[in-house]
Amino acid sequence: MNIHRARRRPTGSLTGAIALLAVLALVLAACGGDGTADTTAAASPGTTTDGGTETTAGGTETSTGGEEAAGDPIVIGSTLALSGPLAPTAAIHKVAGDLFVEQLNANGGLLGRPVEWVVLDDESVADQAASLYERLITEDQVDLIMGPYGTGAITAAMQVAERYGYLMAQHTGSLTYAFNYGCQFPAWPTGRYPNVTNPELVFDALEATGNPPETMAFVINQFPGTMFVAYGYPDSGDAQDAQGAVSIAQERGYDVVLDVQFPLTIDDWGPIAAQVRDADPDFVYLGGLGVDAPNLIAAMDALDYQPAGMFVQWPAPGPVLGAGESAEGVLSVTAFEAHPPFTDDPENAQIAATFEEAATEAGITYAEMETQASASWAAWQTLVAAVEGAGTLDNEAACDYLVNNTIETIFGETSYGTEENNYYGDLSYVKQVQDGDWWVVYPEEFAAPDHAIEYSPEG
Amino acid sequence: MSLLSQAVVSGVLAGGLYAMMSLGMSLSWGVLKVINLAQFSFILLSAYFTYQLTVSLGIDPFLSILVCVPLFGLAGMALQWVFNRIRISEFESLLFTFGLFIILESLAATVWTADFRRLSTEQNPYVSESIWIGSIALPVPQLAAFVAAILVAFGVRHLLRNTHFGRAVRALAQDRDVAVAFGVDNGKVSMQLAGLAAGFSALAGVFIAMSRAIFPGLAVEWFGIVFSVVILGGLGSTLGTLIAAVIIGVVGAVATVWGGPPMAPLAVFLVLIATLLFRPEGILGAARRDT
Repeated sequence: MNIHRARRRPTGSLTGAIALLAVLALVLAACGGDGTADTTAAASPGTTTDGGTETTAGGTETSTGGEEAAGDPIVIGSTLALSGPLAPTAAIHKVAGDLFVEQLNANGGLLGRPVEWVVLDDESVADQAASLYERLITEDQVDLIMGPYGTGAITAAMQVAERYGYLMAQHTGSLTYAFNYGCQFPAWPTGRYPNVTNPELVFDALEATGNPPETMAFVINQFPGTMFVAYGYPDSGDAQDAQGAVSIAQERGYDVVLDVQFPLTIDDWGPIAAQVRDADPDFVYLGGLGVDAPNLIAAMDALDYQPAGMFVQWPAPGPVLGAGESAEGVLSVTAFEAHPPFTDDPENAQIAATFEEAATEAGITYAEMETQASASWAAWQTLVAAVEGAGTLDNEAACDYLVNNTIETIFGETSYGTEENNYYGDLSYVKQVQDGDWWVVYPEEFAAPDHAIEYSPEG
Repeated sequence: MSLLSQAVVSGVLAGGLYAMMSLGMSLSWGVLKVINLAQFSFILLSAYFTYQLTVSLGIDPFLSILVCVPLFGLAGMALQWVFNRIRISEFESLLFTFGLFIILESLAATVWTADFRRLSTEQNPYVSESIWIGSIALPVPQLAAFVAAILVAFGVRHLLRNTHFGRAVRALAQDRDVAVAFGVDNGKVSMQLAGLAAGFSALAGVFIAMSRAIFPGLAVEWFGIVFSVVILGGLGSTLGTLIAAVIIGVVGAVATVWGGPPMAPLAVFLVLIATLLFRPEGILGAARRDT
C-alpha cells in the first residue's frame, strides 16, 4: 500500500538540529573538560611580601624579593573530576586551588612570575586523567603539574608524572603502599599505614570513654582506599600493610558481628540497613565516603534503628549534618577543622576564613575548611615550597629540595622521606557531630574547646 | 526470616522507584519510537526543583509534585513537538537526546554546582519515617513511589485500553503511517503521550530528592537500571515495566542479603539475560499493542 506522507520530511532541518545540538553538547561538556581548559591566572598581581625566598606557613606569602609578579606565566597543569561521581568533592579542590593561585599571584607569584593553573576535566575516570596528564606534559608542555582528585586518577597520573620526571604533589591519594614514585608528595597527612593508624586512633578514642563497645559491624565501600583501611593489602609483602580495621578490631577483642561490603554506588540501602539492625552492634564502622553515611542513617532510621555509635571514614561533611538528630554522635577522622586549636595560628585562621568565603561564593554547601580543602591547600604549599626552595622550575631539583628539606604547610612542619613513600606521619584526629556541627574530640589536646568524645554502648 | 522479609519488602519498594524512573522511557521508546535520554534529565532536574522548592520556600516536598509534573510534562510536549517537526528516527533520537542530556546535566552543574544536595531531615521528615506492618518497615518515600508506580502503570493501561486517546496511541504504535491515513492526529497524540511520559519522570525525580542526595553526575548511574527495567518489562508496556522493576528490586535486595551487595548487579543481570533468552520481547513485550 502506498501511503502518502502527511508531511515531507525536512531532512535538512533534522541534520541542522542535530548538528547544532551536538555542537552545544560538546561545548558544554568540554567546559573545563578535555577540550577546553579552565584556567586561573594572575589577573592583576598585587602586593608582595619581602620575605626573601622563604616559604611561610601560609604558603601563599611567597615572594622573590618584594617585586610584583612579572614575565611569562608559569603554567601548572592538572586535572580534576569536574564531572562524574567524584565531582562533588573535587569541587572543593577547585575552590581551594583557585583561591591559592589567586593569593599566590597577589603576593608576588612563583619565582617572581605569575602563575596560571590549567585545569582539565578527567570526568572522574582514571584513564582519562592519565591521557590528559600525558597531553599536559607532552603537548601543552606545562612547567609543573598538580595532582588530580581521587585515588584512581592520582594513581594513573602518577605513572605519567614518573615517566616524564615531573614532581607531583597530590591531595588525598589513599593507596599509600602503591605510591612509590620518589617525586610524589602526598599532602594528606595519613601516614604510610593509615590502615593501622586510622583504626587504632578511632578505637583508642572509643576506649578513652571508659565504656567502649563490645560488638562491631563493619560496612565497607569497595572503593580502593576504604578497602585498604578496612582490610589492608596483604599482597604488598609488608606485614603492616596486611592489617586493617577489621583485623585490628578483632585483635583488640571486639566481636565483629557483621562484615559486609558494598559497591561504590548503591541505589537501595534498605537491605544493608536491615542487616545492621539484625546484627545489632554496639558500634557501626562505616568504611564509606561521600553520602554513604546519611544514606545508611536514613535507611536505618526508616527501620526505626539507631546504633549506639557510628564511625564513617571519609564522608562529605555537609550531608551528614543534614541527617539531623540521627547524625548526632557520628564519628569521623579529619586533618583540619576550622576551629581552635587548628586556627590558633592566625595565618591558618585567615586561610580558613578566606576559604569559607570563597567556597560559599562557589555554592559549596559545607563551606568550612576541613580535610579535603586543607589537603588541597597543603599540596599547593608543597609545590610552591619545592620550586621556591630549589629556585628553579626544574622538576628534579624541586623534588630533591623536598626530599632534603623541611617545609611548612597548613599541617605544620613537614619532612618528606622516601623510605615511607614520602608519607610523613598520621596527623589524623577524631571528630564527632555534636550539637549539629563537626568538632574534633580526640586526642584531647587537639579537641575543640569544651568538646570531648561522647559514646556509650547503651546509646 | 525477619531479615529476608525486610529485604524482600525493601526490594519491592525499590522496584516501585525503578518503575517510576522507567515508565517515561518505556512509553517513549515503545510507543513513540523515541529513545529519549532526556527522560533522565527530567528526573534529575525534577529532583533539583524539588530540592530548591523545599529549601527556598519551605514547602512540603510532596507539594513540589504540583509544580514539577506539569512543568516537565510541558517540556516533554515541547520536545516531542521538535521531534515531530524533524520527523526524527529511533536512532537519531538517541543521538539527539544524548546531546540534550549532556547540555541539561551541565546546566544543573552550573546552577547547583557539582556538590551534593540533600534535603535535611528537618526539611524532609519523610526520609526517616516508615509505616509498619508487624516488624516490617515500609519507608515512606519508597512506599509513595511504589504506590505512584502502581497507580501510573494501571492508570496508563486503562487509558490506553479504554479511551479514544488510547486507541489512537495504540494505532500509532502499530503503524504510524496507516494510523495517520485513518485520521489519527499524530502530532497531537504523540505530544500528549510525551507529556505524560515526561510527567512520570518528573514524579520519579520528586521521590529521588526525598530519598537520597543528588548531584549532576547522578543521572548517568540510572542508565543501567532503567534500560534493564524497560527491556525486561517489554517496550511500551507499563505493567511489564512495573513487574520488571519489582523483579529487579527484589532480586537485587535478596542477593544483597545472601551474597553481599556486590552480588546484586550480578544477580540482576543474570535474571535479565535468562529472561531475554526465553522471552526476547520482554516479560509483557507481546502485549505492546495493548500496553
